Amino acid sequence: MSSRRSRVAGLRAMGAGLAALGLLASGCGGGDAGADGKVTIRYSWWGAQDRADLINRTIDLFEKENPGIEVKTDFQEYGDFWTKFNTQAAGGNPPDVFQNSYAFLRKYGQKNLLLDLNPQVKAGNLNLDDFRQGLGRAGEIDGKLLGVPVGANTFTLVYDVKAFEEAGVTPERGWTWEDFDAAVEKISEPGEDFWGASSNGGVMYLYDLRLRQQGKAFFTEEGLGFTEADLRKWWGDHRAKLDDGLLVPAKQAAQVLPKSEVSAGLSAAEFTWDNFLARYVSETDRELALAPIPTMDGERTAQYLSSLMLSASARTEHPEEVAKFVDFMVNDPEVGKIMGYNRGVLPTNAQFEAYEPEGPDAKIAEYEKSVTDQLEPITPHPAGTDTVEAAFLSIYRSMAQGSVSVDEAVSQFFDEAKTALGS
Amino acid sequence: MMRTETPAPAGTEEERAAKSPRRPAPSAPASRPAATARRRARRETLAGYLFLSPWCVGILLLTLGPMLVSLYLAFTDYNLFDSPRWVGLENFSEMFSDDRWWTSVRVTAVFVLVATPLKLAVALGVAMLLVRPRKGQGFYRSAFYAPSLIGASVSIGIVWRALFQDDAVVDRSLSLFGWDGGGWVGDPDWSLPTLIALSAWQFGAPMVIFLAGLKQVPRELYEAAEVDGAGAWRRFRSITLPMISPVLFFNLLLEIIHSFQIFTSALVIAGPGGRAGGPGDSLLVYTWYLYEQGFSNLRMGYASAMAWMLLAGIALVTAVLFWSQRRWVHYEEGGR
Repeated sequence: MSSRRSRVAGLRAMGAGLAALGLLASGCGGGDAGADGKVTIRYSWWGAQDRADLINRTIDLFEKENPGIEVKTDFQEYGDFWTKFNTQAAGGNPPDVFQNSYAFLRKYGQKNLLLDLNPQVKAGNLNLDDFRQGLGRAGEIDGKLLGVPVGANTFTLVYDVKAFEEAGVTPERGWTWEDFDAAVEKISEPGEDFWGASSNGGVMYLYDLRLRQQGKAFFTEEGLGFTEADLRKWWGDHRAKLDDGLLVPAKQAAQVLPKSEVSAGLSAAEFTWDNFLARYVSETDRELALAPIPTMDGERTAQYLSSLMLSASARTEHPEEVAKFVDFMVNDPEVGKIMGYNRGVLPTNAQFEAYEPEGPDAKIAEYEKSVTDQLEPITPHPAGTDTVEAAFLSIYRSMAQGSVSVDEAVSQFFDEAKTALGS
Repeated sequence: MMRTETPAPAGTEEERAAKSPRRPAPSAPASRPAATARRRARRETLAGYLFLSPWCVGILLLTLGPMLVSLYLAFTDYNLFDSPRWVGLENFSEMFSDDRWWTSVRVTAVFVLVATPLKLAVALGVAMLLVRPRKGQGFYRSAFYAPSLIGASVSIGIVWRALFQDDAVVDRSLSLFGWDGGGWVGDPDWSLPTLIALSAWQFGAPMVIFLAGLKQVPRELYEAAEVDGAGAWRRFRSITLPMISPVLFFNLLLEIIHSFQIFTSALVIAGPGGRAGGPGDSLLVYTWYLYEQGFSNLRMGYASAMAWMLLAGIALVTAVLFWSQRRWVHYEEGGR
């Protein structure tokens, strides 16, 4: 081979390499001013296909009414959503607008990733006037509007109507934990694959309510709001009930994931967010209904309204378009009709009134109406809440499976919580 | 960085090369041939480097660079968004008091220690069956290799998960024989064996290498041994194993390093939802915990430190293997 030809080929190879790198670099930049002058905004959320179908219909509606704006979408399951978001955000390329929840506002607010939407409210691009129950400002942290609710939810007990009827127990407002425990004991029958209640001792939001009923809370502004002794009691009680065969054993519960224990027909009662009812009902033939949270004193449930939100990225190049998009998604009655209570009860009066709930959604609406007068301010969620929540659940499950003792589980949780809340 | 040359000398050289491609022109002065050859050699070297350049750029930008950055990050507290803060050896000391880190080390160690020998044993066994000429040999070889082609993919993890779930194929088949164990993947005691089985099933790559090694073993050795009355096991122990020990060493090294880095299949088999680790952290392999710390918990400094610990661990095991090979690996004369 002549050396000239080889050198030319070499240069070409190098040129190709450089060109590829160039492509790579320009690909990362991602300019989004379209050739036709259209502005493109990127929107991502977590959820399953059913939510995606609904959201895509609302986006079609938005694009029709705002021909200058194109919306690109992306969604993942809850767990994968945040790892992808973190990666994109660290690379300086987060979506312009995305689903968020109260638990994450401080975490990402402190890192200056969330756009303060207050200037857009002042500029008239985002209208907060029509929100129900003071929800409009629910996403305001230290004077910055970091999220706008698209749905509200509150905690509840999903129960199997027939099982409770057979046990002769009617869960009603003001019932106590003793009443609940008695019902669970009546329903659980040895030898049958059906238990009185799901093993919910690892659900952070349930323990939060239990603590709030005692004048404490899961979190303070700084860190955990309870002691190791408190948690030893809570998890110790669950250990005892598991041993007595009153709660769904960990092994059975693990088998049915991602289904819940109540919709898999293993348990008669499960504590969760009220908007989950629609999903549970679709997974089972049993009749499910919503009951109030048991109390300690016969009165106070200590529950509060939480919500899924939309947040905008602080790096977005199109804050105005993003604000218009959020405004449309929370105020447009048609959007409310399409979404229903998929993300919780609709946040604004216009949407709430436009949508006529049926089936499970009707039960959710009725439940939220019945607890309106009991709602209290939300527990603070410091940065690291999500890690603590995951650790609380996972360590509880290890304890329930019997791989660690209650004492070991409690000290492991406090170790991990300290790390998560410290950073 | 790039060298530019005037085209003239290259042109003249090409003319000369065209006239006599192998040797320099006879009319050239005595000192010319050597100089030309040297220059040509230099040019070819340059061309070689140019051919290599895309790879070099790749390794500099995509491997070496990030590695150096992660080495720095290993000594910092870095949450991906704020600038890294130097903390010295804190990340490393934290690992030793981190229960889940120890869990991940234990799970990974069990996986490496069980899955690697199992996979190699299966690979060697199948290779020995396939080395003898028989009808449909080509078909069998491809069929046994196929799982490895698709093995690393997510889809096969999903299939595996579907097979071993509660009330799925495996569970139902076993209950026919009176063993009603429930699902494998959701059970903290059985999820890791499921993962190990998946890994062992993907024995194609080492099998092919074993096949090549087995074919090198001279038939005369077996014939001589048979004449001397050696049984099958004896022949395997005293002829096959020593003769293929270099191949065995190579496979062992490769598979161990590979096993340390298990990630995708553990993630997929554990299924959706919850935090990393599968049921009761029984599938919390090292790289998965690393990923969780880095990308979910935003502790990239700690994750980087974990990555360097993994590298150190793999390096240590590799060193021990290399040291041990003089005891059991036999190279043919001249081979080493």
